[in-house]
Amino acid sequence: MENKNINAEPEMVGAGVGFERIRRITGYLVGTLDRFNNAKRAEEHDRVKHSVSDTLEVL
Amino acid sequence: MIKTIVKRDGRKAEFDVKKIADAIYKAAQVLGGKDYDMAVDLANQVVDYLENTCKLEEPGVEQIQDAVERVMIENGHARTAKEFILYRAERTRVRDMNTRLMKIYEELTFKDAVDNDIKRENANIDGDTAMGTMLKYGSEGAKQFYEMYVLNPAHSKAHREGDIHIHDLDFLTLTTTCCQINIEQLFKGGFSTGHGFLREPNDISSYSALACIAIQSNQNDQHGGQSIPDFDYGMAIGVRKTYRRIYIRNVGKALEIFCDMEDGEPTAKEICLKVEKAHGVSPVLYNGNGYCACEAEELRQLVDESLIGKIQSFARKNAEKETTRSTYQSMEAFVHNLNTMHSRAGAQVPFSSINYGTDTSPEGRLVIRSILLANEAGLGNGETPIFPIHIFKVKEGINYNPGEPNYDLFKLACRVSARRLFPNFSFLDAPFNLQYYKPGNPDTECAYMGCRTRVIANRYDPSREVVSGRGNLSFTSVNLPRIAINAHGNVDWFFEDLDRKIQLIIDQLLERFEIQCSKKVRNYPFLMGQGVWLDSEKLGPDDEVREVLKHGTLTLGFIGLAECLKALIGKHHGESAEAQNLGLDIVGFMRKRMDEASEKYGLNFSLIATPAEGLSGRFVRLDKKKYGIIPGVTDRDYYTNSFHVPVYYEISAFDKIRLEAPYHALTNGGHISYIELDGDPLKNLDAFERVVRCMKEEGIGYGSINHPVDRDPVCGYTGIIDDVCPRCGRREFEAVSVEKLKQLGVYKNLNADTLGYHGDPAEERERAANPVE
Repeated sequence: MENKNINAEPEMVGAGVGFERIRRITGYLVGTLDRFNNAKRAEEHDRVKHSVSDTLEVL
Repeated sequence: MIKTIVKRDGRKAEFDVKKIADAIYKAAQVLGGKDYDMAVDLANQVVDYLENTCKLEEPGVEQIQDAVERVMIENGHARTAKEFILYRAERTRVRDMNTRLMKIYEELTFKDAVDNDIKRENANIDGDTAMGTMLKYGSEGAKQFYEMYVLNPAHSKAHREGDIHIHDLDFLTLTTTCCQINIEQLFKGGFSTGHGFLREPNDISSYSALACIAIQSNQNDQHGGQSIPDFDYGMAIGVRKTYRRIYIRNVGKALEIFCDMEDGEPTAKEICLKVEKAHGVSPVLYNGNGYCACEAEELRQLVDESLIGKIQSFARKNAEKETTRSTYQSMEAFVHNLNTMHSRAGAQVPFSSINYGTDTSPEGRLVIRSILLANEAGLGNGETPIFPIHIFKVKEGINYNPGEPNYDLFKLACRVSARRLFPNFSFLDAPFNLQYYKPGNPDTECAYMGCRTRVIANRYDPSREVVSGRGNLSFTSVNLPRIAINAHGNVDWFFEDLDRKIQLIIDQLLERFEIQCSKKVRNYPFLMGQGVWLDSEKLGPDDEVREVLKHGTLTLGFIGLAECLKALIGKHHGESAEAQNLGLDIVGFMRKRMDEASEKYGLNFSLIATPAEGLSGRFVRLDKKKYGIIPGVTDRDYYTNSFHVPVYYEISAFDKIRLEAPYHALTNGGHISYIELDGDPLKNLDAFERVVRCMKEEGIGYGSINHPVDRDPVCGYTGIIDDVCPRCGRREFEAVSVEKLKQLGVYKNLNADTLGYHGDPAEERERAANPVE
């Protein structure tokens, strides 16, 4: 349905609010990458995923 | 005629020939000189030289010092001149460091954490707060002071140049790293935090509150983390006390309701005490000890036979329900407290860990289930809890296979970890852990602290191979890649140099240990004063802690095995079997040297796979400067963590586990392996569990699984968010309409600051679809 209330802009929230990205750093968790030091940021950036397809059985 | 001199900072000062004489005299004194007149005579010669030979009217400090050296050598005082030169060099170094320190202070003061790496050295300290910055002032100042005045110059040099890294250097003269706290023992008879006495707790809610306080208090006595090694067993005692109290109350209530008794509760209590005295049993969850039968005998004398069953089932049902609820609330409070309470002048939450999973008693199981569910639910707005670190102990016969008493809790642990990243998993069946395991004694179940520290063997006192009351004293890491670069492919030379570095580290650990040993009990009011550390209860406030500290570990760490192997033979252990074999030789060699040192000194030397947060960038920064960019070695901004296969290297989860497992057996001071899973593991719990089981089968000691956990604070969605929030459809930093949030049923708090959703309807549906029971 179209908003027919002409005397009010829709109330908006959340402008400027970023997403939280929780990551593990040397064993503990950090709620935001902003707190990581430069080296750890670089390391986090380089992390690749490890597949869980059944390669083990082949070996 | 010289009247003024120019100081280093450019200011002018009155010239005083006596100052030159004093400096010469001091240098001579070092060599046993006692002739002050001679010093005055030499000083006059210096003035003469400056005025008549150099034709200076306003000399600088450096020019005067040059002249002093020259005059002394001309007069045959070569050795005194040498002392003077050394003294001068030392003063220059001190001055440089002072300047450097002031530079650091300037940056701490005027730069935000976003522009200042030092303020982000530890991610769990907010460097932008007043207390966070104050902590850094203290820390940076202390480090420089110790480097200049306390450390053995050889160790200071090796640390400064990046051959080794002395961890927590700012605490060098102050305290030790970490401790595993035995809460059962601590709570017995109550304890004092140093700011007030707390009576022995009698309810699960006070057990949980006091456990937080214990962690917080101890955190202020140490620079590392705090761990509770057998959280389930410890908390179960509080659950037992709670159940007993609630059961009695409900029997009392039943007596009042069904039997019209006026003083139901005191009567019920009297009966309980009587049964406890006569039969030695108390009311327990699910009545596993036959208490109800004994109680029925007593009730028979007071009420009609037909009512006994009714009274007891009423009491049991309600006590069970209330105890379950109370335990969950206590565990929820525990998680909330540890994410919000402050320590260390308010700059950081305590670094806490809890181990659990093996207590099969109904109370222990309730604790495990409750703490897992509390962690799954998250914090007030559904945020993922950052602390404590949860460690689920996996053990065959207890929780690993279908049919085992806590298998359901293992499944639950996998589900919670797939959503919240915790718990991590430790494996008591790994041979190096199993050797200490004595069934029925949780103190022999190997536990892990914080990032990975492990303390259980005890060379100092082999009769005390237990986890509680012990921890690491200090650790120092060796720069493996640098030795490999310097070896130029000569593996024999590599081992020779590694051996030299290890010897240096052993000496340094022992010197630091000596400083720690000379501390008194009163320097650690909680850790030692309250008997948290093993055997410290036997000491008085002014006793040295020397003997009891020997239960702790002195530890060698390492970083960058992957880069080390690249430098030595061109491949890392993920790439070639040869590299893997050499890697195991290198780590095995370090372990052997630690075992030898343990034998030699009767102390607990151990080898840790260094956690390396601040260190991850430091060594490579120095090595880049020294050797330039070497592909595969110094071409990134970090060295790979300990023995890990590099994070950038494509490898299957199972291969990674298989390659890293053998290093767990060698690193007796601590280790961890990570697997990075793609996508949302909640949608594939089978794969998640297979990874955990693979870790166990391959002999991993401690492992955890990483996966993206993102959260949109506006609508409260937790899961994977790429660019657009899958729930409310907004992009990062965009606004979303309140109308939309209302339609989603997630807009409960009517102001933008307190947005966030408690619970997730979609996720809750999934829970029902994948029952764990």
